[in-house]
Formats: sequence, C-alpha cells, structure tokens
Amino acid sequence: MTLPPFALRRPVTLDEALRELTEDSVPYCGGTELLLAMRAGLHRPDALVDLKRIPELSGVRVEDGVLVIGATERHADLATHPVIQERLPVFARMERHIGNARVRSQGSIGGNLCFAEPKSDVATVLMALGASVTLAGPEGRRTASVEEFVVGPYYAEKEPDELLVDVRIPLRDGLRGAYVKFQTMERPTVGVAVLADDAAGWYRLGVGAVGEVPLAWSFGSLGEIDPDEVAAWIDPTPDLSGSEEYKRHVTAVYVRRALAKLEQVSA
Amino acid sequence: MGENVVGRSVRRPDLIEKVTGAAEYCVDVTMPGMAHAKIVRSDRAHARITGIDVAAALESPGVVAVVTADDIAALYARFGHIISDHWILATGKVRYYGEPVAVVVAETVAAAADAVELVLVSYEDLPAVMDVDAALAGGAPLVHEQSYDATGDESFQNLSHLEDEADDTEAVLSNIAHEVNVGWGDVDAAFAEAAVVVENTVHFPMLYAYAMEPYNAVASYHEGALTVVSTAQHPYMVRDDLARVFSLPLSRVRVTSPYLGGGYGSKSYTKVEPLASVASWVTGRPVKLTLTVEEAIYTTRVDSARIWVKSGFAADGTILAREFDIVMDSGAYADNSPLVMAKSVNRCFGPYRVPHLRARGRSIYTNTSPASSYRGFGAPQGNLAGETNLDQAAERLGISGADIRRRNLVRKGEEILPGKRGIDADIPADLEMVVESLERDRKDVPYYGIGFGCSASDAGAYPISTAQVRVQIDGSVLVLSGSTEMGQGSRSLLAQVAAEELGVDLSVVTVVQSDTSVTPYERTTGASRTTTLVGLALQRACADARSRLRDMAAELFECSPGEVRDLPGAVAGPDGRELDFGAVVRQWFGGSAGEVTGVGLLRRDGATQKMPPFWEVGMVGVAVEIDPETGVVAVDQLVTVADVGFAINPRAVEGQDLGAATQGLGSALHEELVYDGAQLANANVVDYRVPRVKDLPRKIDLMIAERRDGVGPYGAKGAGEGTLNPIGGAVAAAVARAVGKWPDRLPLTPERVWRLMSSD
Ligand SMILES: Cc1cc2nc3c(=O)[nH]c(=O)nc-3n(C[C@H](O)[C@H](O)[C@H](O)COP(=O)(O)OP(=O)(O)OC[C@H]3O[C@@H](n4cnc5c(N)ncnc54)[C@H](O)[C@@H]3O)c2cc1C
Repeated sequence: MTLPPFALRRPVTLDEALRELTEDSVPYCGGTELLLAMRAGLHRPDALVDLKRIPELSGVRVEDGVLVIGATERHADLATHPVIQERLPVFARMERHIGNARVRSQGSIGGNLCFAEPKSDVATVLMALGASVTLAGPEGRRTASVEEFVVGPYYAEKEPDELLVDVRIPLRDGLRGAYVKFQTMERPTVGVAVLADDAAGWYRLGVGAVGEVPLAWSFGSLGEIDPDEVAAWIDPTPDLSGSEEYKRHVTAVYVRRALAKLEQVSA
Repeated sequence: MGENVVGRSVRRPDLIEKVTGAAEYCVDVTMPGMAHAKIVRSDRAHARITGIDVAAALESPGVVAVVTADDIAALYARFGHIISDHWILATGKVRYYGEPVAVVVAETVAAAADAVELVLVSYEDLPAVMDVDAALAGGAPLVHEQSYDATGDESFQNLSHLEDEADDTEAVLSNIAHEVNVGWGDVDAAFAEAAVVVENTVHFPMLYAYAMEPYNAVASYHEGALTVVSTAQHPYMVRDDLARVFSLPLSRVRVTSPYLGGGYGSKSYTKVEPLASVASWVTGRPVKLTLTVEEAIYTTRVDSARIWVKSGFAADGTILAREFDIVMDSGAYADNSPLVMAKSVNRCFGPYRVPHLRARGRSIYTNTSPASSYRGFGAPQGNLAGETNLDQAAERLGISGADIRRRNLVRKGEEILPGKRGIDADIPADLEMVVESLERDRKDVPYYGIGFGCSASDAGAYPISTAQVRVQIDGSVLVLSGSTEMGQGSRSLLAQVAAEELGVDLSVVTVVQSDTSVTPYERTTGASRTTTLVGLALQRACADARSRLRDMAAELFECSPGEVRDLPGAVAGPDGRELDFGAVVRQWFGGSAGEVTGVGLLRRDGATQKMPPFWEVGMVGVAVEIDPETGVVAVDQLVTVADVGFAINPRAVEGQDLGAATQGLGSALHEELVYDGAQLANANVVDYRVPRVKDLPRKIDLMIAERRDGVGPYGAKGAGEGTLNPIGGAVAAAVARAVGKWPDRLPLTPERVWRLMSSD
C-alpha cells in the first residue's frame, strides 16, 4: 500500500511539540513502526510530529548513577555509544542485534517502547534492569517504571498528548549481565536477560517476546532460578514461529543458556 | 576446442546498473496521460456475487472509472494457456480470497486505493473447499461449475509425454482440474516378487516463489492496438492471451518486458496484464497497476502436494517397480498447474531404471489462491517422495544411500521415459563428485547427518526459438532475442555466443530482448532453455550473417562467394585482401550506412527433434547439524554439480546453482504459506520466511561437470532449475540421519524437528 497523505510538523522544542499533539497529530521518530501501520491502513493521522529536531529528547548521559538515554536515540548509535559500552555492555550488545540494519539505523528507543510491539528485546532488558521512563505532557512531567509503561501488546500507558522524554537505567557497579534470544523469523521468539549484582545480592531475570508483554522477576541468588519453573510462569502466544508448548520449551532452554552465558561474564 | 569468449566468466553487462539502481524495471515505466489502478479483491473464499455498487467510489475524488465483469462482457474475458478458465474479473462468483472483483482507475495511486474501500460488493457465501481432501470428498461444492475448452497449446501435449492420452471424453464435473497417468510394465506382479517393499507419504508445502519485484504492468489500448509493458517472463505468451481477449491480430498487440526483478516461474504466463489492459480499454487511457507483495502472493503461488510412493526392490537394492500417487492443491484456477503435474509425474521416479511404473497425478481445484509454475516444474514435489523413499529403502536393505543409487542410476544414453531422448549426462559420475565432497568434510559431531539426491528433468523447453544479429557499419553487433533477462545473466551468455561466432570483441555486442514488436519470437524464458535453444538459434543467425557478408564481399572482391574466407570479425578474399565486417557493409551499400541482418530459426528438427532437447540434471548434497534442544537445523555443507555439458559462463552457472539450492533450502527449512480459514496467515515477507544471508551453508562447493554432451552451443545444456529439485529430499534425508527418524513433510522448521525428535 502507499502512504496516505499527511502533514509533517517539525518542532524544535519540547513545548512546541507538546502543543502540536492531538489524537490526529501524532509523534513520529524513525517511523519504522508508524509508517508500516499507516501503509497497512491501520492508522491514518492527519499530521506527523517529527521529534528528531528536539534537543531535549536526544543524548546519552550519566546523572547521579543513572544512565539517561534520550527518547530519539537510535538503536545503532546506542549499540556503539562509548558510555553504554563501558557502563552497560549487556545493553549495547542487545541493541547491536535488534532487527536489521535499516531498523537499527532508523528506529529509536522511545519509538520501540511507545509502540510496545510484544516481540521486542528492548523492554525485556529494560525491565530486568529496573529502568523507568520520563513522560512529558501538558500537565508536566511524570515517571513510570518500564513495567508500568509497557502494559500490553501494542499498548503503552501513555496519553495521546504525552511524549516519552527519556529512559532511565540505574547503574550498578560490578553488574554482570547476559541477554540471549532465540530467533528464527524476522522477530525474536523469546529473549532472556539475566543480571547479577553479586555484591548486593541482587539478581534479575527478564523474559520477553514470547508472550504479550515482557516479564521480569527478582531472585536472592542465581541458584533460585529454575528454568522449567520460569517456563511455567510465562504465557506464550502461539503463532507461526511456534506453538505454546514449543515456546515454553525453548524458553526453558534459553533461560538455561542465559545463565550459562552469564557464567562467562566477569564483573 | 579453442573457443575464445565462451567458457569464461565475463562480467555481466547489466551488473553496475542493477547494483546502483539505474536499471529500468517495469515499475519505473510511465506512459503519457497514465492513470493508476487498484484492485477490489474478494474478502471471502467462495461466494456468489449478488451486486457491486460502484456509486460511492465513482464520486470519490480523482476516480476515473470502476471496471467490473459487466463492463468487459463483450470481450473474451478469460485467459489461461492450457485451460482458459481464469476470469480476468470474477464473474458471477468469487473462487478465492484475494480474487480481483473490480478495478478502480484513478488519477493517483492514493485516490484509487481510497476508492477501493468504497466499492460495495455484496455476496452470498457458498461452501468452500479449502484443501484437497475437502475438494475430493463426495458431494463437494464445485469450484468451477463448467468445463472449459483447452486452448490448443499443442506443445503442452508434446511437453508432457501425453501424446497418446485420449482427450475430450465427456467428463463428469469435479474439482479435478487435470489428471495424468504414466506407466509401463506389470507393477503388481513386480511388487509381489520384491524382496523389500517400501511405502511412504510426503507433504510438500504451499510456497510462494518470492521475487523481489511484485507483478506490475502498464497498458495502453488505443485505436485497435494494445501496448503493454509488464513483468512477464514470457511476453509472447502474454501477447497471445491478450490478442484473444480483445480479438486483435497478434501484430496489433505489443508486450515488452524490461528487466525482471526475479521470476522463478512465478512470472511465467499471464498475470496482471489483462487487468491493466481492460482498464485501459474501458477508460481510453494508459493504466498502470502495481501489486503489493501480499497481492502478488494471492496472484500466484506454488502447488502444494501430498505424494504417496511405494517401491519394490530386489535384495541387492535393484528397483523392480515404483508407484506414485500425487495430489496437488492447485487453487482456484488451473493456470500452469496441469503442466506442473504432467512434469511431476514424469520426474517423480528419478533417473533410475524402473522396469515397472505406475504414476498418477491429480491437480485439484480448491478455493485458495491459484498455483502455477515454479522453478523445477513439479520436480521438487515429486523428487521429495521418490528420493526419501529410496533412502528409506537403503536403510531397510542395509546399504548406503550412495550404493542404492549406484545400483539403479541410468547410464548415458539410456531412456528413462520410453521414446524420449536418452539421458545425455553421466549421472553416476556426478553422484561420485557429490559424495566425495560431502564425505571429505563430514564432521564427527552428534546430531550431524548428510543427505544427497538426484533428479533428471525432461526440460520443458519446446524447441521453437528465433534470433537475429544485426551487423552495423562500424562492425558492432546487435543481438535480438525475444527471451527475457530476469537476473539469470542471459545478456552475457548471448553476447558471448555472438562474439564467439562472429569473432568480434565482446564489448561491441549488445543484446536487446523481450519486445514482441521488435525482438524475434521466443516461446518462453523458462525450463532453463535460453542458453541452449536461443544459443542454437543465435549460432544460426550468426552463420546466416556471415554467409550474407561473404556474398556481399564476393561482389566487392569480384570473386565467387565460395572463395571468400571467414576471419574473426572480417572476411578475406582470394587475393588475401581483408575487409572487416563494417567495411563490407559500408562498401556494399556504397555509403556510410546500412546493416546486415542474420536470422536463425530453430524447431523440432535434426539434433532438436527428439524431446526433450536436453535433460536437466540435479545433483546435490547437504550436511546438517541440528541443535537438539531447539530443533534448529544448520546447514553445514552444500554440494552441487552442474551437469551443463559446457559452461559458457561458469560464474553464471554457479550463480544459478547457488540460487536454486538456496531457494530449495528455503522450502526445505522455512517457507510455507499457511491458510487460516479463508485467508493466508502469512501473506507477507515478514511472516513468510525466505532465506537470508546468514542461513547460507558454512561450506559451499559448486562444481561444474563439463562433458560437452548437450545439444546446445559447444555442447551446452541448460542450468537454473535442476539444482533446486533434489534439495528437499536431501535435507529430509540428512535430518533423518541426524536424528534417527524420518520426517514426512517440509519445511523442517525448528518446532517440527523438535517434535520429530521428541516423538516415539
Ligand atoms: C522489520 C523490523 C524488525 C524489528 N526487529 C526488532 C527486534 O528484533 N527487537 C526489537 O526490540 N525491536 C525490533 N523492531 C522494533 C524496532 O525497535 C522499532 O520499530 C523502533 O525502535 C521504533 O522506533 P521508531 O523511532 O521507528 O518509532 P516510530 O515508528 O516513529 O513510532 C512508533 C510509535 O511510537 C510513537 N512514538 C515514537 N516516539 C515517541 C515519543 N518519544 N513519545 C511518544 N510517542 C512516541 C509513535 O507515535 C508511534 O506510535 C523491529 C522493527 C521492524 C520494522
């Protein structure tokens, strides 16, 4: 299908952008999801509000032990960003293996979370990391954890007049992390993140892409993670990449593989 | 033999323009005053059309017309080169989800797309037959309530080994579009004597022959003449269909195909050309129609098949008898499926000595998207059955897969189809090349298996070809051929043949193709025919040009033509005087103008009398390594032998083989169209998983066997389809050996392999 006609707005400040937003005038960043939905006739906004010229929405920095990533930062840039590579290599590696080269060099982290495609890697890792998002709207700013934000398939808890400003990931010294995914089609079948802060006795497991939303759990030790038990906790969506039974099975396999990979990772 | 230009991997002339995007494809073509079409498609599988309300659509901004079956009732509104059963626009009823019901013509694509939503079609649902079992059940609803006359494509008879088939016995209406039976000997008696009888059933998936470029066309009907530019693999065949639709003389229909963005059989025969043409006929304006990938998938897919096979063997593994029952789901219209079936029946039993054979094939109408040609023409389906059956027999007999084939493969010159050309290849020698390469790199790891397979296809290349060469005053040469360039590299191959024959530099040869009003007749570009058949016609055209040039030179030299000798790019007179081609042309015409045309004609005659003109051998091996926890199959080795007689351009041969093998690996491991109710669940290339670069085998060994045993130029035979045919069976056998259990269907997706391993 061809794209239906629309107006393009290009604000350069956050306030200007917020004033432009309505039900029919929607945020647009890389367009990797939005334009496909418009081509498929699922969505027909009157105007697209391009976020890429708004400095407040870009940049990567560390603020008080928190890694702050601007919403319009693209996967390809995050994968190679020196601060991320140094402080959170597991996140950089995940970004490097998203989708394909076109998606990585166009798609943004904010667009990924706002679109809430269930077969995603980003939200899984962010949930495991205990990350949150900052949202700005006419009434001001608010913060929500990624778990509170990505609540359903293609559903992020966000008003049409709100913008995602940034993603905030608390940093931990000596954090070890591994992310593995099983992928045979265009999108992952299951992604598993395991994180360990041995000094703090903090252990997290995230499992995504396999069900409607990613899930994450905390543990007191790695030994408490039982792959078969985890497989029973999830609610796989059967589709052409596998039945429910098969997806449960590969989830257990990949939890095991994530744990094995984590063993190779030094702090 | 002292060739200079052929036998070398010269760079293809279209390389740079294709890589940079400068090459012109049909989608780039515009016509003055052109309007745009979008198709209103059926949203159900089987239903009577009770009304089409176009009023709202006609009022939509920019809409020029909405064309329905009623508007074209005065035309011959059907096509189909074997059975002309394919309605251009659904007439009376729809037979599959996605079937064209109306064409909206508008000033822009967006306006047409918007108006499509406004065309209100009312339907009365009919019970649908979504698979072959439903279609063959007693009392099944009929997809077609009428039978259609065959279009009299007499070559169909010749291509399909059915010369003695009785036609036109008044048949009872059923969902069987076409039935083929081939056989000889006393199969039942042979089974009774067999030491071992092995029987199995396989399922070949419903596929889409994914080509990067979806179908598109631009057509202009003006003053009793029709001009169409389209993505047709066989522009002449499309011309014939269109001339019939509009009752026009063939000379008033011009079909041109620029570069094609891939074909693989999916673009053979008529597709969207009638839709664009009738839209132009109704509106009086040129009309452009470009399909999406989803629409392309609903336009033509590949026949899926269920094949039952039974073979009887002597204790030493010698084949005594084979029996096949092939049922293909051909969808709502026959298109080329009858020929696919005829070929499948010919090819299923393999290049083996089969003293007693019974093979039956039925092509079934269902309320699904129509199936048609696909690379290999029924061979991939049949081969999967025949070869896995042979490997299972080897297991039962306690001999190797190589040994059972060594025992039964035909030798050069032996017939596998009575009365047809004997095998023009040394297949046993090819087999040894494959096995040697696979064994050399066999890995000693768990869940590792090798598989290999053979096929021989009676190339569906009916020998009607023509070619022309036009020698210019500067000695440069135009080659004209009605064949189509769709990525296979035919422009280099034909240029190489002409340069070789005329002794001119390759850089002065230009190949012009696929324009029915300019380039001479070519039946099809399919069945791996171009190098062999167009090559022969072109050799004759070059000889004809040379002979004319000698005659002209004789006048200039004032000698007899017999005294003029050929030199590379030139002639020499009895006194040793030499004139290059350009000089002959210039001096004979007496100015600095003129040209000489050489014509080459090829028919069933002499070396190309016996059908098929050549056998296309497929000889492949694979080694797989399986992840036992997930069932993922990694291809460790891919080994192919191109038995092409002589490789005019070795790199092009390798490209064909790697492409064919990769396409085969797609259907062996990933690809399958899945119907979910009336619609496909994966009519897009995100969910329909085609091979990717990362899927490429770790080792790729593309070998070429050159024994100069073909009828084509320099002993060449075709390449392009053969290597795909045995891939499915080879992968199935490799997986079976890796996991110890025989799969019965493709593709071997991770879940299927995991389930196979977990089953008991
Ligand atoms: C072929 C393909 C493969 C993919 N594979 C993967 C994969 O393997 N793993 C993975 O994790 N992801 C994958 N993705 C998803 C990819 O990460 C997202 O498409 C991309 O990051 C979306 O970003 P965008 O900037 O293009 O969003 P857009 O398409 O521009 O926007 C998406 C949605 O978010 C809204 N939006 C965008 N930015 C904001 C903002 N700042 N505030 C409020 N709303 C906003 C838009 O209005 C729209 O509704 C894949 C996508 C494709 C198309």
